[in-house]
Amino acid sequence: MPEIQNENPTILNVSELPSRRSKKIVPRSGPDSTFDSVLYPKQAWLSSSSSEGEEADDDDDVAPIDEQDIFDLISPISDPEHPHTLGQLSVVRLPDIQILSSDSNHRLTTVKVDLTPTINHCSLATVIGLAVRYRLEQTLPPSWRVDVRMKDGSHAQDDQVNKQLGDKERVAAALENETLRGMLEKMLEGC
Amino acid sequence: MAQFKQWALQYVLSDDESAQVEIAQKAAKEIESTRASSTVVGNWAASIHQWMTLANANDEDDEMKDGDEGTSGDIISRAKALSFLAATLEFLDRTMLRPDQVLRLIGFFGSMFSYDHKAGITASAKALRRLYAMKSFKPDMGIKIIEDVCKIKEDFRLQTAATRLEIYELFLNLVQDPAVSSEFQHKYGSSCGFAVDLLELCKNERDPRNLMIWFRILATLLKDYSPSSEVTEEIFKTFSAYFPITLRASATPIGITAEDLKEALRGCFSAHQRLAALSFPFLMQKLDQGDAVTVAVKVDILKTIKACIEQYENPQNSVVPHIEKIWGSLKYEVRNGEVKETIDATLEVLRAIARKLDGSNTQKLDVSLLQGYIDIVFRDCRDDLSNPTYTKQAGLLLMTVTTTNIRGYVLYNANFIDIIRQNLRQPKSPSHIRDLLLLLNSVLKTRLDLVKNRKEGHPDDEEQLKTESRVHLETLFHDVYLPIWTGKASEAGSEEKDVLKQVVQGLALLVSQEVLTPSGDVSLLYPGSICSEICSLLTVTITKGLSLSSNDNQANDSALEDEVVVGLRSIVMNYTDGYDELVSRAKTEIAKRDWTSPSEYSLGALRDILSRLTFIGCSEIPTYTNIDAQSRKEFSPLQHFVAALHTLLELFPLSQSPTTSNVYVISSIHAAVIWFRNACEARYKEDTLAPYSTSDKNWLEEFETLPGDWLSKLHNGGISTDVALGVLQEDNPEVYRQFLRLSLFTVRQLYTSATATTQTVWSEKSLTQLAQTAALVIGSLDEKLQKSCNLAHEAFNFFRTPGSSATSDDPINSLLTVGILQGLRPGALTELYKPGGVAEQFLCNTSDSAYPSSRAGDIRAAIGTILSNKYKGGPSTSDPESLTMKRVLDFWGSWLKDSTTSAEVNADKFQTLNNVAMHIIAGAVARQDKSVTDLIPILHQAAASQHANGETVAHSLGILVKANDLLTPESHAVVRRFYKQWAYSHLVKPLYELARPTSDNSLAAARYSVIILPIVSHCPFTVYQDDLEPLVRLLVTALTSRGNVSEETAQAQVISALEILVEIILNDADALKGYVKEIVSGTTKVYQESVPKKTLAQPVPQATLTTSRKLALQVLGAMPKTFEERYTLPYAPPTQRMLVMACGDPARKVREAARSARANWAKVA
Repeated sequence: MPEIQNENPTILNVSELPSRRSKKIVPRSGPDSTFDSVLYPKQAWLSSSSSEGEEADDDDDVAPIDEQDIFDLISPISDPEHPHTLGQLSVVRLPDIQILSSDSNHRLTTVKVDLTPTINHCSLATVIGLAVRYRLEQTLPPSWRVDVRMKDGSHAQDDQVNKQLGDKERVAAALENETLRGMLEKMLEGC
Repeated sequence: MAQFKQWALQYVLSDDESAQVEIAQKAAKEIESTRASSTVVGNWAASIHQWMTLANANDEDDEMKDGDEGTSGDIISRAKALSFLAATLEFLDRTMLRPDQVLRLIGFFGSMFSYDHKAGITASAKALRRLYAMKSFKPDMGIKIIEDVCKIKEDFRLQTAATRLEIYELFLNLVQDPAVSSEFQHKYGSSCGFAVDLLELCKNERDPRNLMIWFRILATLLKDYSPSSEVTEEIFKTFSAYFPITLRASATPIGITAEDLKEALRGCFSAHQRLAALSFPFLMQKLDQGDAVTVAVKVDILKTIKACIEQYENPQNSVVPHIEKIWGSLKYEVRNGEVKETIDATLEVLRAIARKLDGSNTQKLDVSLLQGYIDIVFRDCRDDLSNPTYTKQAGLLLMTVTTTNIRGYVLYNANFIDIIRQNLRQPKSPSHIRDLLLLLNSVLKTRLDLVKNRKEGHPDDEEQLKTESRVHLETLFHDVYLPIWTGKASEAGSEEKDVLKQVVQGLALLVSQEVLTPSGDVSLLYPGSICSEICSLLTVTITKGLSLSSNDNQANDSALEDEVVVGLRSIVMNYTDGYDELVSRAKTEIAKRDWTSPSEYSLGALRDILSRLTFIGCSEIPTYTNIDAQSRKEFSPLQHFVAALHTLLELFPLSQSPTTSNVYVISSIHAAVIWFRNACEARYKEDTLAPYSTSDKNWLEEFETLPGDWLSKLHNGGISTDVALGVLQEDNPEVYRQFLRLSLFTVRQLYTSATATTQTVWSEKSLTQLAQTAALVIGSLDEKLQKSCNLAHEAFNFFRTPGSSATSDDPINSLLTVGILQGLRPGALTELYKPGGVAEQFLCNTSDSAYPSSRAGDIRAAIGTILSNKYKGGPSTSDPESLTMKRVLDFWGSWLKDSTTSAEVNADKFQTLNNVAMHIIAGAVARQDKSVTDLIPILHQAAASQHANGETVAHSLGILVKANDLLTPESHAVVRRFYKQWAYSHLVKPLYELARPTSDNSLAAARYSVIILPIVSHCPFTVYQDDLEPLVRLLVTALTSRGNVSEETAQAQVISALEILVEIILNDADALKGYVKEIVSGTTKVYQESVPKKTLAQPVPQATLTTSRKLALQVLGAMPKTFEERYTLPYAPPTQRMLVMACGDPARKVREAARSARANWAKVA
C-alpha cells in the first residue's frame, strides 16, 4: 500500500450518521428508562394477537427502497486506508444519493451516487467508487441501474474517474483482478 | 537377612509398581516388628549389597568407557535396589529409627551424591527427605545432608527434572525448619557458606516447577537468615538473572503459569529490605530501557517495585533513599504513557509509596517523610496543569499521591484545589475546563471515600478530619461551579455540554460531602440554603422541556438531562429536603397546563418529567445526614416515596377524560413502586421477607381506620402525626414492609376509584398499569399476609366496603382482577375453589353477557389461565376432594365435543370461547394436572371432527404450550419444569403416524398436522429431537401443499413449519440432509406465493405474509452455510435468480433477509 495520502480526515461519530431511527421518535435512553417496556408498552396487555403484533408495529416496514436504504448499504464500506467507514468519513452522504424512476411503474430505476473523496487528489477514489458500485450491484434487484460518480469538483481528475466507473467493460475487467478483488472483499467485510 | 535379600531381589526384578509397594510395605513391617533392632536394620540395609559392590566395580569401568550400554542394566537394577530402601523408609513408622541409625542412613544416602551420580540420586533424595521427617532427626544432620548433597556439583544439572525437584524440596524443608536454620546460623554465621554452595549447585535451573521451589528457597534464605552483604549480592545476582521471567507455551501443561513464576520471583525481590539497595536500581534500570520493554514486562517490573515497597520494613532506610529515583522514572510512564495497564500499575506504585510513608494502622511514621514525597510530586506536576496536553495526566499523578490516605489529603488538598481553581480562571479551551473539572470532581469523590472509610485506618486520621480546613471546599460552588454553569448553560455545543456534565457531577458530589464536627458528629458540608440553590439550578434543566415548544427543543440528545437526573438523585439522597422542592416545582409546572388535548411533544415532555421524578426519588433509599450540626430534622427513608406517590395522586386525573396524560400518571405510580421495590431488594437482600413472615395482620382492615388522605398527612406532617409510620432507620428492613403497606393502600385507593360508576378518567391502558402495580405489590407479600388480608376475595370485589357505592360493570375492569390474581400465591387462593365457588362459576361461564367483546374474552382467558394454574385441592383446602378442577376441565371437554359436532354455535363466539377453553387448559397443563390426560382424546377428536370448528380447535392447541407472561415464577405460577415434554408426549407423539398424508382419512390427517406444528413450534428443540424423521416430512408437506385446510390456517402452518426449520437447522441440521431439494423448492414456493398481489383482496393479513416471506428466505439463506456444496449446487442457479428478485421486495426486513441469503448463495459456485 502506498503511503497514507490524507492523514487526518474528519471523522463523524456513528451516532451522528443519518439513520432511519433518527426520523422516528427516539426511544428514551436515560437512566430512568430501564422499565419503559413495562410502563409504556406498545402492545395491549393480554392481547391474544400479541405474538404477531411485534411484526406489525413497524408501519413503514413495507416501503420501497429509498435513499436511506442505499445509504445504509454503502456507508458501512470501510475506507481502504483508514479504519473508518465511508459514512464516517463523509465520502458517502445521504443528500448525494438520488433515486430516479424512468417510468411511473417503477419498472426501471436508476440510483445515482455522488462520492466526495476526502482529498481532491485521492488516488483511491476509483477503488472506492468500484466498491460502492460492486456493493450496490450485489444487493439491488436486477431492475436497478447504478451510476456512481465523483461529485463535481471534488476530485482533480473526476472526469477520468467517472469514465472508468461508468465503463461496464472496465468495471468487469477490474473485478477479474485478484488483488483488486481481495481489496474489495476487505472493504466490504463490515457490511 | 535372607528374607530381606529375597525381597530386594523381587523388588529389583519387578516392574509392577503395586507389587513394589507391597514388597516395601512388607519390609517396613518386618523392621517395625523388631522395633528396628540394629541387626534387622543392618540386614535390611545390607540386602542390596550385591548391586552396590557391582556398582563400584562398574563405576571404574564407566569412567573408562562412558556411555557403554552394557552397563545400563546394572545402573537400572542398582537404582531399583536403592529405591527399595527408599520405599521401605516411605512406609516405615517415623518414630521407629534411632538417631544413630538415622545418621548412618543419612551418611549412606549422602555418600551417593559423591559416588553414584547415575543410579543413586533419585532414590537417595527421596530417602533423605524421608529421613528428615524421622522423629529422631537432629538439626545438625541437616547440615550434613546439605553438605553431602552439594558434592554432586556439576552433575546436578544432568539429573532429571523430577530428581532435581526432590532435592529442591529437600532443601526447602531444611532451610525452612527453624531448628536446622538456627544450627546453620550457629555454624556458618552471616557468611552463610552453605548458601554459596547451594547457589553454585542450582544456578542453571530452568525447569519451571523446580524454579518455583528454588525461588522460595532463596526468599527464605534472605528473609530468615542474615547473610552478609556479599552473600546477599550473590543471591540477588542468582535470582535477578531470571528477571523478567517468561514461560514458553508447552504442549503438556504443567500446572504452572507464567504469572506464578513472576509472583515467585517477585517474592525474592521483596523478601527483605537488605535487598533495597540492589533491587531498586536494578528494576529502575530495566524500566528505563525505553521502547525495548514490552507492556507485559513493564507491568511486571512495576508490580515488582510495588511488592518491594510494600514488603520492605523500615522504610526510612529502605524506601526513602530511592524515592526520588523511582519518581523520576515513573512520572513519564503516566505523563507520556498511552497504555492503560502501565499507567494503572504505575499509579499503584505511587500509591504504595504514599501508604508506606504514612505508616500502618497502628503506628504512624514521621509526617516529614510523606510531606517530602508529595512535595516532589507537586514540584514536578503543578505547572503541567496549565498545559491542556498534560492536564489529565498531571492531575492523575497529583490526585494519586494526595488522596491515598487521609493525612496526605488533609495536608495537601487545599493547595491542590487551589491550583486547579487558578487554572480554571484562565482556561485554554473548553476541553481544558472539562479536564480540570474532572480532576476536581475526582478529588471530591475520593474525599467522600476517605471520610466514609475514616474508621479503618489509624485513630489519628479521624482526628485530622475533624480539624481540617474547609473554606476552600465551601467556596467551590459560588467560585467555580456556578460561574461555569451560568457561562456555558446558554451555549449548546457538544464540548460545552461535556463541561456542563462535569459541572453536574461536581455539584452532586459537593452536596454529598460530609464533614466531621470536633465532637465527631457528621453533617453536610453545605448549609440547606446552598443545597437548595443547587437543587433549583438543576431542576430547571429537567422541567424546561415542558415550557419549550417542540420547535425550540429539537435536540435529540438528552445526555445532559440524563446526567442531571443522576446528579439530582444523588443530591436528594443526601440533602433530603431537596426532593420536596423538586416535586412541588414540577407539580406546579405540570398543573399549570391544560392536558385535555396536548400535543405529542407535550405528552413526551410530561412522560419524561414524571419518569425522571420517580427515578430521582424512588430508585434509591435516602440516608439521613444533618444539614448542620445543631438541628436534627425528622426523617424517614420512605419520605421520597411518599412524596412521589402523594404528588402523583394529587395530579391524577390530569384531564377529565381517559387521555394518555392520565395513563402516564398511573404509569409513574407503577414506576415509583418498581424502583423503590428494586432499591429495597438491593439494600436488604435476604432480610427482605424475614420480618413479616410471622405477621397475620389484616392490613385492609387497618386501612379502613386510616384517613382517606393518609398519604397527604404523611407527606405534610412527617412522623409527628398519629398515623405515622414510626421512626425508621434506612438500614431497617421494616422500610420494605412499610413500603408495601403504603403501596397496597395506594392500590386499594385507585382500585376503588377506577371501578366507581362515575369514573370517566380511566382508560384501558391506565387500568393495565394499575393492575400490574397491584400484581407487583401483592406478589411481594408472603402467603400468610395475602391470606390474612383476604386478598383473594378482593380479586372480584375490588376493595369495596359493604356500604360503598355501586361499581361499574365495564368488562374491561376484569383487568384489575387479573392484577390481583397474578400477584397471589397459590396457597392464598384456595378459598376461591370451593365446590361451586367463585372460581368454578367463573371458569364454567359461557353466557353471552360474560363475553360482550373479543377483548373481554381475552381478559377472561387470562383470568382462566391463572385460576386453573394456581388451583390447589386436597384435604386441608376448601376443595377437600380435589374435584373442582376436574369438573371445570370436564365441562370444557364436553363443550368442545358439542360445538364440534352440532353446527349451532356462532363462529365468532366459538372462536372466543375456544380461546378461553384453551387458556384454561393451558394453566392446568403447566401444572401437569392429571385430569388433562382424560381430556386429550376429546381434544384430538374435536380437532379431527368433520365440523369446520374442528380446524379452529386443532390450530389453537398451540396455546397450551405457548409462552405466557402469566405463567412465570414472578407471578407465582405453578410451572413444572418438564411440562412441555409432558404435553408433547401426550398431545403430539401419538399423532405422527395418523398425520401422514397417505393415511386413510385425509381430513383427519390434515387436522392432526395442524395440531402438531403449532405445538412443536412453541417447544424447545430437545423436546422433539427424537421425532425429527416424521416431523421433517410434515414440515416439507406443509411448505409444499396447502392440504385440506383454510387459507388462514395454511399460512399459519407455513410460519410454524419455517420456525421449526430454523430451530432444526440450528440444532441438528443433519436431519434435513435428505430433504434439501424439498426445502429449497418449498421455501421458494412459499416466498413466491406470499408476495402480495395487488389485484386480489388478501384473505391473510399483510404482516403474516411478510413474516412468512422473511422466514422462508431465512431458511433458504441458511442452506448453503449448513450443507456442503454438493447438496446445494444443483439448485443454485434458479435460487440465485429468485433471490436477486427478492432483493427488491416491498418489505424492508424481507429485503435484508434476501440480501444475506443472496450473499450466502453467491458463494455456491
